[in-house]
Amino acid sequence: MVSDKPAPASSRSGGGANDGDKPTGRRLQVGVGRAMAHHGELLQGVFEGADGGLHRGLVTLPLAAQPSTVTFWPGGQGNIRVRPADRRKTARAAALTLEHLGFPDVGGDLTIESDIPVGHGYGSSTADVIAAIRAAAAAAGATLRRSTVCGLAVEAEEASDAIAYGDQAVLFAHREGRILEHFGGEVPPLLVVGFRTDVARPIDTLSLLRARYNGQEIEQFRVLRGLAAHAIRQQDPGLIGRVATASARISQRHLAKPCFETVVKLAQEHGACGIQVAHSGTLMGVLFDGDERGVVARAAVLAGTLGHAGFRGIRTFAVNVDGTSLQ
Amino acid sequence: MSGTDDFLSAYEKPRVARLAHNLFAACFPLMKLLPARFMLDRAQADGRLVSGGSVAETTSGTFGLALAMLAAVRGFDLTLVSAASLIDRRLRRRLEHLGSIVHVIDDPEGSGAQRERLERLHAILEHRPETFWPRQYDNPDNRLAYGKLAEWITREIGRVDCLVGCVGSGGSLCGTGEFLRELFPDLAIIAVDTHRSVLFGHAPGPRLLRGLGNSILPSNLRHEMVDEVHWVGALPAFASAHRLHRGHAVFMGPTSGAAALVGASYARKHPDAVTVVILPDEGHRYQNTVYDDGWLAALEGWPVAVPDKPETLARIEARGEGEWTRLVWGRSPLRTMLEAERGA
Repeated sequence: MVSDKPAPASSRSGGGANDGDKPTGRRLQVGVGRAMAHHGELLQGVFEGADGGLHRGLVTLPLAAQPSTVTFWPGGQGNIRVRPADRRKTARAAALTLEHLGFPDVGGDLTIESDIPVGHGYGSSTADVIAAIRAAAAAAGATLRRSTVCGLAVEAEEASDAIAYGDQAVLFAHREGRILEHFGGEVPPLLVVGFRTDVARPIDTLSLLRARYNGQEIEQFRVLRGLAAHAIRQQDPGLIGRVATASARISQRHLAKPCFETVVKLAQEHGACGIQVAHSGTLMGVLFDGDERGVVARAAVLAGTLGHAGFRGIRTFAVNVDGTSLQ
Repeated sequence: MSGTDDFLSAYEKPRVARLAHNLFAACFPLMKLLPARFMLDRAQADGRLVSGGSVAETTSGTFGLALAMLAAVRGFDLTLVSAASLIDRRLRRRLEHLGSIVHVIDDPEGSGAQRERLERLHAILEHRPETFWPRQYDNPDNRLAYGKLAEWITREIGRVDCLVGCVGSGGSLCGTGEFLRELFPDLAIIAVDTHRSVLFGHAPGPRLLRGLGNSILPSNLRHEMVDEVHWVGALPAFASAHRLHRGHAVFMGPTSGAAALVGASYARKHPDAVTVVILPDEGHRYQNTVYDDGWLAALEGWPVAVPDKPETLARIEARGEGEWTRLVWGRSPLRTMLEAERGA
């Protein structure tokens, strides 16, 4: 059974159907789960929650082309073994999920097949964790709502991204695993030319110091959030591009990307609508309005220019553009 | 604190009025609630203001009203210092009903007595040193408070090409403008002032239009952000407020009239640009004056014929209350403009 879009079933905190649903008589089967990567963020900062307090949050730029696929083979009691063996958080995510679904102390084997590069801001670790949660749920024949998936992911690895929500644009409190604002739609159509600004040393994202934003930045994030909401409601790539560029500029004061101004200038020269960064990685992307005429050609020219300029890992991908993926 | 003033946090939000296809007005019942709440929140958060503490401020009216509403809800002692020409009996009564102590300085020539008000305030602060003074003219939190207005604008309206607003402390226009320019670097910022206010270089003198302009220079006004300044006399401002009411059922005060006049002229001149104009308070306070035909009839020059566009000046120059002028400011510091005047 493959599960990558769980239907609403139970709430992680609220109990629900699973609590009274004893495992007696239920057997686990082989389960497969998938989750997509992302290409950093369109927006990251701190935002006011419904409680009036400030919460760290982000809007993820989804990257569907390179999923992580996790398979769970149940086998007796005890440990969950994982391949590659160093992905303990992934195993923990599967175990937490099974426990949540009423299967404590279940053992088995978990394999991760993923082409997502580690340490550049593609969210490889979160993709593995989310895929493992889905695999475990599939093994139990259960569905999980997205908020439950996110809650389990944070429990397994401290922080999560919004990729459980796919291309739905949400403002996500990544350290709490919950939504601050659902923007009520998908990310506007974008063609993204992504690249890495530095390939020398991958970043251990969880060990990064958290950015300490000043009062001006904190109030600025409100304004970015407002424009993000408008851009998604109106499906306006130009405005989401402005949000991403402004967010990247703030990020530049906390985790500076080399050649930032060069990229900004190139983006302008090639008629892009903005730039985005992985706030905890080396990735940057130049955003084009995916519906604009001639955009594919302009993106290709920019990709060539970036290659000549020495940037690595250049890839062009589409988000919510009609037609085929450009991978 | 949260929960006890939910009503006021809703009250601080504007409503949108679309005055033309490319002209949006942010209509506030009482805009000053935004900076008042923000400043009190910050002061409470860092201990400058403790529970049950005291607050004092000098104010021409609406900022004091906002503080008084918050002080009533949050249990602070509030002392306000105003001038006789700025505060009417009904507002004073309302402030006192909210529990505030109001000091009124005599200013027979109608100058606003800014200096005397500050002297009185300093005497109060000396007497009770633990008193929190929000200092709306110079406290940078005043500008920061307008992140909420900039958020409202981006959320409701989206792209903005021009922001028009009155200047008194500079907080609303410069605060909102600074946040919006991070997203829209080409945003035009147009300041609305009135003749004989010192904000953009006039010599101080009597002003009939109150609630904008100033007789001292607040540091929250960032001249180098301003593209254009308009000096609107009281009479065209009053006439414009009437037009807003008659044409759009938008019942606002006279400073809103001045801002709307300037906003409409920019919007007509730039049909492809989205212009947003900030309208800071409602008309109820002015029913015995600006909205009273008898009171208006006694004014020299009323009724006034309002032109479609202002007279463009070549230099800083004050005119009569019936006139509306404009100067290209070009994001210059005040000193640069004043030196250019002297050199000219």
